Amino acid sequence: MGAPAPRRREVSCPLCGTSFDPEGLGCRPSCPLAKGCRVVCCPSCSYSFPQETGLAGLLRGLLERRHHDKEHP
Amino acid sequence: MSHCHTCAPALEKKQVVPAGRSVILVGNPNVGKSVLFGALTGKYVTVSNYPGTTVEVTRGSATIAGEAWHVMDTPGTNNLLPMSEDEQVTRDILMSERGYSCLQVCDAKNLRRGLLLAVQLAEAEVPFVLALNMYDEALGRGIAVDHARLSEALGVEVVPTVAVQRKGLPQLAEALAKARASRFLVRYDDAVEAAVAEVVPLLPGHGGLGKRALALMALVGDESLAAQLAGRMSPAQLAVLDEARRRLAARYPESLRFVISRQRLAAVDRLHDAVLTRAGGTSLGSSFARRLGGWATHPVLGLPFLLAVLFVCYEFVGVFGAKTAVDFLENTVFYEHLVPWFDRLVRLLVPGGAVQTFLVGPAGVPFREHGGLLVGRYGIVSMGLSYGMAIVLPIVTTFFIAFSFLEDSGYLPRLAVMVNKLFKRMGLNGKAVLPMVLGLGCDTMATMTARIMETRKERVIVTLLLALAVPCSAQLAVIFAMLGGVTPVAAAWFAGTVLLVLFLVGWLAAKVIPGRGSDFMLELPPLRLPQAGNIAVKTLARIEWYLREALPLFILGTLILWGLDRVHGIALLEKLAAPVVVGLLHLPKEAATAFILGFLRRDYAAAGLFLHYEPFMKAGTMTREMNIEVTVALVTITLFIPCIANFFMILKERGWRTGVGVAGFILPFAIGVGATVNVLMRWLY
Repeated sequence: MGAPAPRRREVSCPLCGTSFDPEGLGCRPSCPLAKGCRVVCCPSCSYSFPQETGLAGLLRGLLERRHHDKEHP
Repeated sequence: MSHCHTCAPALEKKQVVPAGRSVILVGNPNVGKSVLFGALTGKYVTVSNYPGTTVEVTRGSATIAGEAWHVMDTPGTNNLLPMSEDEQVTRDILMSERGYSCLQVCDAKNLRRGLLLAVQLAEAEVPFVLALNMYDEALGRGIAVDHARLSEALGVEVVPTVAVQRKGLPQLAEALAKARASRFLVRYDDAVEAAVAEVVPLLPGHGGLGKRALALMALVGDESLAAQLAGRMSPAQLAVLDEARRRLAARYPESLRFVISRQRLAAVDRLHDAVLTRAGGTSLGSSFARRLGGWATHPVLGLPFLLAVLFVCYEFVGVFGAKTAVDFLENTVFYEHLVPWFDRLVRLLVPGGAVQTFLVGPAGVPFREHGGLLVGRYGIVSMGLSYGMAIVLPIVTTFFIAFSFLEDSGYLPRLAVMVNKLFKRMGLNGKAVLPMVLGLGCDTMATMTARIMETRKERVIVTLLLALAVPCSAQLAVIFAMLGGVTPVAAAWFAGTVLLVLFLVGWLAAKVIPGRGSDFMLELPPLRLPQAGNIAVKTLARIEWYLREALPLFILGTLILWGLDRVHGIALLEKLAAPVVVGLLHLPKEAATAFILGFLRRDYAAAGLFLHYEPFMKAGTMTREMNIEVTVALVTITLFIPCIANFFMILKERGWRTGVGVAGFILPFAIGVGATVNVLMRWLY
């Protein structure tokens, strides 16, 4: 298996460490004030935390690109 | 991964037909099991509910290495000791089916969790093959699994795969044809092994799972298994089993489920560390980290550890965030520059007249002395935005940095385990602890997790505990900020009171929810030195979330106050609340509005109080009276009715009667505790 394929952006649960695709795991359908809420629930332990979108997503992308460039100059 | 090629289709697909061999797919939730099932079977599948449940089980057919196979998918499971209906269905399928092989699908990025299931399949003597799925993503994260060594240790075939790209499937097909039982054996302590040896001969001999696995399940007192064994064992055999379980349980302070899981996890950890390497990781030295991790979860040693963590948070959030950062943003940025600049801008754009006065008040009058809509005593900019951006934002930002540090270091899950141990010693059902730990993130979301409790009574009690005494992250931040301004003794009064209430209510809850119940199972990630970049990203994500969620409510709250002020409603409100706020709690009359608006956001309420006492905190002129007032106000607000989001969630999850009942209990209870603290502090402080 060669170079890693382009992957979906996954998140890692800060409580139990499970990595998962946040698609469809947002808490929004169940919360009455959730319109536009970016909180996501870990499928393994239910811990909720905000998704890294917007500025945080941009910063994460920047850090990952820097990390990748460092690993594969 | 030299033998994994991009594949030509190797597995023929056809309709579900009777087949000579069968394979059952098992794996943790979200590991790509269904994708692999689809790749094996194609579109001709049957989906049916497992008998007596609403859990769906999918079946299909495939031709593997020239032979027809029956393929069955099972619900995701983390453990063969079931904690949910889904997990029980998977365990029951493995127990009732005969002559099958298992294909365990594991997320290569979360190997430890996968190995926990693999060693249980080994214990069950089930022939199986381990697919390390999402292997490309693991490599992308610098995680490399020595699959040859893992295969040797387990004694079964281990195949790296990328199911979504059909990579590794031919190798998987080859491996499935020679699936065999694992020789990996977890050695438990002597007492457990002796009990297993005593129980094994009693167990019925015909089942999909081996006797050693069944003996361990029976010893931990798995109720769903007990019902099945009852029909297949004589009363005398059941009595011997019960006696062996009682004898073994008496040796440990914890439940047998916990004891056995802990010993199994230790074996999994050793295997995991031997086969996995992580590039660029900054784990603390492993033996030191394990020792530190052990202290952090210890019910006694964990307390000084927790106090040290709280002290550092207090210094960073309460002193640096609430004093230095708030002072700069509130006075320098907002009141010296932003508010006057905005005032001038509005006066420039809306020259003279009633509209200008309506928006920013009469010219030349300080904004705290008029009722302008944008700039005024209750102005959207001068109050709503300044509360949100200049007072609460710096406080929650410092708190979010500290909280992200705790998450990334691996301390947070250890705190959860330690709290779990404390609660269990009080006799509280282990399951009740999880929502309370999750409440530290967001109480509203944690209220939803109370669904895991089995009875309505249990769900109501957990909901009550959450709403009453578990502060969410934003509230915790302002608590730290307020405590930064009072004496350490007053801070200790606050912490002692809230903890006492939590444990008292927890103890009462334990009386109502008796028994050990299900244990709290949480995989502990290694203790690590957090990386600055990660903390920055997480903090930024939380700040964005806070701004989107809290700021509109701060503005709504300010508009309500502004409206009330216009009709002289605030004075009326303060007069109505005076008997409680002034008479009972001995707080300034202005605290009434803070309590009422705390229903929108608890941090909004605390921001108002913070602003009231801030000049004295900054000047170091807090009197004894003020220290008592802040402590009483904080205790009352912490225990006060939940924020509007949480309240609606309670109504939605538990129904309006329970919701109103919970609020109806909490309101007088919070005021009663506040009044008691007021009396005691005036006497003893």
